[in-house]
Amino acid sequence: MGRESLQPGVEPRSVEELEDLAFELRSKLLHLCGTYEGAVHIGGDLSAADIFTALFEYGLHVDPSDLRNPERDRFVLSKGHAAVCMYIAMSIRGFFSYEGIVETYGQLDSAYGMHPCKVQLPGVECSTGSLGHGLPLAVGMALSARGRGESHRVVCLLGDGETGEGSVWEAAMAARSNELGNLVAFVDRNRQLMTSFAEERVVFEPYPDKWAAFGWNVVHIDGHDMAQLVEAIDGLPATDSDRPTVVICETIKGKGVDFMEHNLAWHAGSLGAADLERAMAALQASREKESV
Amino acid sequence: MPVTFTFGEMLSARSVIGTTLAELGDDYPNLWVLTPDIGATLVEFRDKFPERFLDVGLAEQVCVGIAAGLAYDGNIPVVSGMLPFLSMRALEQVRSDVCYPNLPVKIIGTHGGLVGNGGSTHYAVEDLALMCALTNMTVTSIGDPAMVGEILRQSMTMEGPIYIRLAVGKSDKVLYEPGEHDIRIGKGIIAREGTDATIFTHGTVVAQALDAAEELAKDGRSVRVVDMFTLKPIDEELIVQCAAETGGRFVILEDHLAYGGLASRVADVVADRGIRLTAFERLGIPQVYAGFGNDEELRDKHGYGLAATIAATRRVIAADDE
Repeated sequence: MGRESLQPGVEPRSVEELEDLAFELRSKLLHLCGTYEGAVHIGGDLSAADIFTALFEYGLHVDPSDLRNPERDRFVLSKGHAAVCMYIAMSIRGFFSYEGIVETYGQLDSAYGMHPCKVQLPGVECSTGSLGHGLPLAVGMALSARGRGESHRVVCLLGDGETGEGSVWEAAMAARSNELGNLVAFVDRNRQLMTSFAEERVVFEPYPDKWAAFGWNVVHIDGHDMAQLVEAIDGLPATDSDRPTVVICETIKGKGVDFMEHNLAWHAGSLGAADLERAMAALQASREKESV
Repeated sequence: MPVTFTFGEMLSARSVIGTTLAELGDDYPNLWVLTPDIGATLVEFRDKFPERFLDVGLAEQVCVGIAAGLAYDGNIPVVSGMLPFLSMRALEQVRSDVCYPNLPVKIIGTHGGLVGNGGSTHYAVEDLALMCALTNMTVTSIGDPAMVGEILRQSMTMEGPIYIRLAVGKSDKVLYEPGEHDIRIGKGIIAREGTDATIFTHGTVVAQALDAAEELAKDGRSVRVVDMFTLKPIDEELIVQCAAETGGRFVILEDHLAYGGLASRVADVVADRGIRLTAFERLGIPQVYAGFGNDEELRDKHGYGLAATIAATRRVIAADDE
């Protein structure tokens, strides 16, 4: 089967459709956060929800019914704590059933847990969770594609906080050294770590310059603007080009739920029934505000 | 060119690795070789298969991470480097990126033990304890330089990861006649027969154990030497057999911390299986950060050299069995 069969949909999705799907993703996330009794990394899920949607519904050539197709794009979730957002985005794309996720998340013997495990959940490309590990894995996958003359992309999603890990920059150097134009990193630049705001304790800026200095092609966008995400994906260089690309997505941790936005308390948490109602109303209000 | 070797001659394990990998590259088109700037012995592979050779420079973490990424896509990656750094700097990558998904990554390297005179930053002395702790990891330590080629060859068809430990690997005595032993990962080798006691050992000090046994034979002592080159999974049956056949008298000799390596693995089997021993002594590195000196001097200084091995074996043989 060729790569054509791996496109999401017969026709590429429109920006409006993608925005609707991102809303669906956020709604389902909140619902899960309200039904699961443990903590969910909801802040960093919501900041990445538009990126996940743009990737799984527009950018990635993958086929839920053909998990081992060698021509599929590989997606590596380096910020493994956003696993639940990935599971739900993948369920919307048709990989899993959303009910299966909600009903078993975090429970004994469930394949759906806080950090993704490839062994337990086929369809996930690799097991991650410890920060700073995803980009090296993605470099390996991109090298493998190069070695075999395969034309798919390897896409890795990182949080900005985890780029404090030195292994990320080892991988950045290796990707440039090996001219991996088939590798794309999306950075969810939500400017919050777990316990502090970025720049407060750790200085990341000039952030795009750091990637540029490592020889990467740097694209800097608003990670909540679906049109910009689509444009960034459309503008990715050919996979046989010689520079890896980083798409730095400026985002807001907790995006879409006003009381979670920019709020360190919502790095991870759980929603009671009343809070869930409040969160859903906030999400709806945020959508209406943005569609005006 | 295949390396030929003769029993008793000196041979470079590194050259065996280089030649073996270059051969295996033909048989396994998905074999990759990666190194963090320790590639001198890999030149033959590099020249033959440049598209499947990767030197990442000084970056052990990404080296192991990339290997895992390659393995996810069906490749067989061999990471070659210096073990103090691969086993510690990249420990979490080995554990979470390789062992957790049970990927067929081979980690092979040098400087296991107080060898090479680099000082304590450059001695891997905790590595076997660390690697044996990792679920899914097979752990080996090779003394015979010719054998490392066979171990690499066998590792190609293994499903999960393997750790292959060498000393300096520049020049070591060939211990076994070609074809003399059935060399299989997971099975210990009876390197010398004996009935009065067993010395269990691995890696660079197998030769020292054989020398000790030879010395003791002059007094009429019959000492068995077991090259327990696979520490995990350990050959439990051979331990049981040696307890029965050598009077329950064990010496464990290793160029690794005395606690956490082979001695601990053997002691675990003894306890778990309820094996009744007459005497048990462990010889290895005490809790010190050793300084400089040549390999033999360091072993003597830290209590696990040839003289100490002979003395410990005599004590074990002389021990009362009640």
